[in-house]
Amino acid sequence: MRIGSYQLRLEKRLTLTGWQAAIISTLAIIFALVLFSFIFILADINPLVAYRETFSYAFANPRGLPLTINRFIFLLLCTSAFIIPFRAGLWNIGMTGQLYAGALSAFAVLLAFGGKMLPPPDLSPITLIPLMLIAAALGGAVLGAMAGFLKGKFNVNEIVVTMMLNSITFWLVAYMIKEGGPFMNPGGRGESFELPSSAYAPLIMDIPFTIFLALGLVMLLYYMFAKTKIGYQIKAYGHSPAAARYAGINTFMIPLLVFILGGAVAGLAGYHYFAAVPGVYKIARNYGYFGDLAFYGIICGLISLGNSFAAIPVALLFGGLSIGGRFVQGKLNMGFGVDYALLGVLMITLVAFQFFYRYKLVLSVEGKGQRRRD
Amino acid sequence: MWEFIARSLEASMIFTFAALGELIDQRSGVLNVGIEGVMLFGATLGFITAKTTGSYLLGFLVGMAIGGLLGFLHGFFSITLGGDQVVSGMGIWILGFGLTTYIGNPYTGPLELERIPTILGLSPFFYAGIALVVVSWFVLSRTSLGLEIRSVGEDPSVAEVSGINVPKTRYLCATIGGMLMGLSGAIYSLFYNPVWNYNFLMGWGFIALALVFFSMWNPVILLGGSLLFGTLWQLSLNPQLVLPGILSRYIWRTVPFVITIGVLLIISTGWFRTRWGAAKPEALARPYVKE
Repeated sequence: MRIGSYQLRLEKRLTLTGWQAAIISTLAIIFALVLFSFIFILADINPLVAYRETFSYAFANPRGLPLTINRFIFLLLCTSAFIIPFRAGLWNIGMTGQLYAGALSAFAVLLAFGGKMLPPPDLSPITLIPLMLIAAALGGAVLGAMAGFLKGKFNVNEIVVTMMLNSITFWLVAYMIKEGGPFMNPGGRGESFELPSSAYAPLIMDIPFTIFLALGLVMLLYYMFAKTKIGYQIKAYGHSPAAARYAGINTFMIPLLVFILGGAVAGLAGYHYFAAVPGVYKIARNYGYFGDLAFYGIICGLISLGNSFAAIPVALLFGGLSIGGRFVQGKLNMGFGVDYALLGVLMITLVAFQFFYRYKLVLSVEGKGQRRRD
Repeated sequence: MWEFIARSLEASMIFTFAALGELIDQRSGVLNVGIEGVMLFGATLGFITAKTTGSYLLGFLVGMAIGGLLGFLHGFFSITLGGDQVVSGMGIWILGFGLTTYIGNPYTGPLELERIPTILGLSPFFYAGIALVVVSWFVLSRTSLGLEIRSVGEDPSVAEVSGINVPKTRYLCATIGGMLMGLSGAIYSLFYNPVWNYNFLMGWGFIALALVFFSMWNPVILLGGSLLFGTLWQLSLNPQLVLPGILSRYIWRTVPFVITIGVLLIISTGWFRTRWGAAKPEALARPYVKE
């Protein structure tokens, strides 16, 4: 393309450094936010006001900030659950189902310890909470293992399987908490029984301890992919399953392993949301809304290109945007679903920007040296 | 019983239209995993149009148009930009899921229009669906256009040499495929279940995707699979027809999804693949870069 004496053309990238990727990702997010301002304009709202409200509520408001941090923990866990299979070239879109399975398992432990009884028994959190955590991870891992086993053994399309498992667990949760199901709230209302206060997750400065779990996992993942043999094998499988097979990597174990790990992490996200976020402490009637928020994990994982450290700022930003978006929706009288609409716009912008991971725009002035732009 | 059969056929046709769109897409080598998103868009915008204008025709046209647009967009990402087709399909699904949640929410509730009349007790879309299956089977396997589409899906570089415009053929298939998916969504929200609520499709699009793999890219087998799944879906909603009083109704809702996984498992086994696996378009999901 030619503009005056400038010439703009595309060049194929040979390498993509971390910084270039970070710049492209940042530009994509900014572009998506600009694009999204049309939705505010269509709703007769000044986008600058809307974004100021969004960010100030999410990051500078004493009521909004804890919500943002809780959402951040949830998204970081979901992102990790997406990233582990993604490094092996596999798509885990079943975080929703895996987190339901985790939540159900955690509540099953509570039920076994008599958590449903009235008045609530005084349970010992030192044994109960670790048990709930292990159960949640196991529940998610079992669901993940199904997809991983089918992929590894029979090469069944993991996208369809994980999505089907989402729907299956969605109805299982409905069965468990509604119409006389085992977890039904004694008062009816179509939701699960509430956690006895002795089983509340410990808070550190009003933040659930799960934040350390999430951040620790990020470090562990980073270490696994950077330093260990198994991490290397997963990456090799992700580049080419056929080549990995020739290199002696077990092509059945890798898909199974990544889905078990991913499922376990998603199960912890389920524990976090339904048993550790202050003010929730039950599987609410509209659990579908929370489960579907796990899809933000896909975007975070894609934007951070599977790098678990890069996922931290992205998850924090998206956590804030989704909390702030929900707040703005109420304050400025917008329709329900601003946070979901933002999810969609971010995703499609990101898809378009994938192009720049492979190509770069080169701006050159005729007869002079070249200037580059990412 | 008759009502049950009629309802099952209605449900089957939603699978048929969406999966046929995907089949045409895949035959040309374009994989669109975002069927669910295209269907949500077609359903939501079709619903809003019909509700505000009172015209079914406009609703279906809008549903088809937005579907075609999204199919074209997917074509742009995967043909022109040459990106990863799974990433793009996922993008379209999440865009559809996210944006329609916001757009459709003010219209939550029933459509409140007179029902579309049936022909001989069956939905008009049943006849349209059968006709469409026959037409697409004929076009794909008996015409030169079909040959072009299939050759582009098998080996684009050979097709190019023999004078076929690969991008044009793929764009055509991606757009027509998208239109069918959008129409299928509109049939859902305007005819099968004319009520809008949050994320109402809950996996129909992904079952349609599985159906295409199951059909071995043959429209006639696809129709059979759709009839099977439409009936299953209807049974899962009315389990009392076969086994009254056994299991919670919520457990029954999981059955179509469980069977989808089972079917996928069977067609992925080595036994099945060596026998029938050659039907898969060779260049599926592979971007074509002209040398």
